[in-house]
Amino acid sequence: MGKLEGKVAVITGGSSGLALESAKRFVEEGAYVFITGRRQEALDEAVKLIGRNVTGVRGDASNLDDLDRLFDTVKREKGKIDVLFASAGKGEAAKLGEITEQHFDAGFDLIVRGTLFTVQKALPLLNDGGSIIMIGSVASVKGFPGFGVYAASKAALRSFARTWVNELKGRHIRVNVLSPGQVDTPDSQRLDKETREMFESLIPRGKMGRPEEIAAVALFLASDESSYVNGVDLAVDGGFSAI
Amino acid sequence: MGKLEGKVAVITGGATGIGRAAAKRFIEEGAIVFIFGRRQAELDAAVADLGSNARAVKGSISDLADLDRLYAAVKAERGTLDIVFANAGAGSPLPLGKITAEHIDETFDTNVKGTIFTVQKALPLMGKGGSIILTGSSAGTTGAPTMSVYSASKAAVRNLARTWAEDLKGTGIRVNVLSPGATATELAKAALGEEGQKVYAAMTPLQRMADPAEIGAAAAFLASDDSSFMTASELAVDGGLAQI
Repeated sequence: MGKLEGKVAVITGGSSGLALESAKRFVEEGAYVFITGRRQEALDEAVKLIGRNVTGVRGDASNLDDLDRLFDTVKREKGKIDVLFASAGKGEAAKLGEITEQHFDAGFDLIVRGTLFTVQKALPLLNDGGSIIMIGSVASVKGFPGFGVYAASKAALRSFARTWVNELKGRHIRVNVLSPGQVDTPDSQRLDKETREMFESLIPRGKMGRPEEIAAVALFLASDESSYVNGVDLAVDGGFSAI
Repeated sequence: MGKLEGKVAVITGGATGIGRAAAKRFIEEGAIVFIFGRRQAELDAAVADLGSNARAVKGSISDLADLDRLYAAVKAERGTLDIVFANAGAGSPLPLGKITAEHIDETFDTNVKGTIFTVQKALPLMGKGGSIILTGSSAGTTGAPTMSVYSASKAAVRNLARTWAEDLKGTGIRVNVLSPGATATELAKAALGEEGQKVYAAMTPLQRMADPAEIGAAAAFLASDDSSFMTASELAVDGGLAQI
């Protein structure tokens, strides 16, 4: 029997990368999964790849109307949520001195505002005892030049988890952050050999992570295996941020 | 099939409490578990309960000869070792102003020195895919009155994992810290009493103390390949106690 048998999971940004890998894993473990993404084509492909027990809802996590449509769909089809996995987010580089208002707004709208409203709008559907997972980043505890806005937006999510575990304590809803390090995705496969080796030399594990290794940790946080894990920022980064 | 099928594990402080709960879970997941503890009666009772995949070796982690005997027993029977859960530890309260040299030595000898030698002496038996788990504590990142020496020793343990992840680079052996919060072991229940247990439950966002089995589940996660991209990490299993 799977670890998420009978559970309903909503995964924003679930049409690609780590979140898609997690969606696959959750379905293998018995969950029904709703995934979101901005591009219909990518979403359709993801739904096809997952194959069963999945609904794709097109939308942008920074758009509140899209979030309303998402949770309306979930409510209509399943009536509840057990696991909310807020993973939508991307970061672009801009150094201090070159940061534009648009760069700041794009970063904070999607990651901070988008995640906050994803969680807040999910709350009425979330079962007591449910699990909320937000994707953080090792960037939030490091100082990568050019990624100040991205890192700060991810640090804000870690802070939300602290406050929300207190605010949600009557409902026994757990809130955790999963902070991946360097993961081998189509993006990182485009790096040249030298850059890749440079990255890997900084990782105590010596190798980048694989998407399925992140999905295994997401499953742990989603399932009752982590029933006493609450309010943490869990680094899944081969040791990168800890040294 | 269990996620620790065929693995060999050592759990120090494995006869009671968190160590015992982890031993139970590891065995359910398919491992052979050597528990290590100071009291023969507790070890015997644990093995009787844990069944045929449990072994017991009597000894203290602050006695290097005892640790040698532990690993000699593992080597003699299994030849290799996959998982070390360096869980044995001790702590007692003394406020600043009353701290004695004995208090410091006892605490650090067990929690820090004992942990270092538990791991160092295990290494020759370990290889690629190995997982080392150190027991930290929510006390390592908070300020519990009278517990400064214990808390500092657990903060030291958390740091060991940072450095060892680098020292172990290239070996395929991972090392992580599991930091429990208030856990309802027999020892903790007796020490805290009814009132103390209520206080800890109320301080914890999950509004209850942990069942030792919940810490065992997190230990099994860190022991298994489910956490293969984690090393040098600290996993707090504290219901949110030290996170707010």
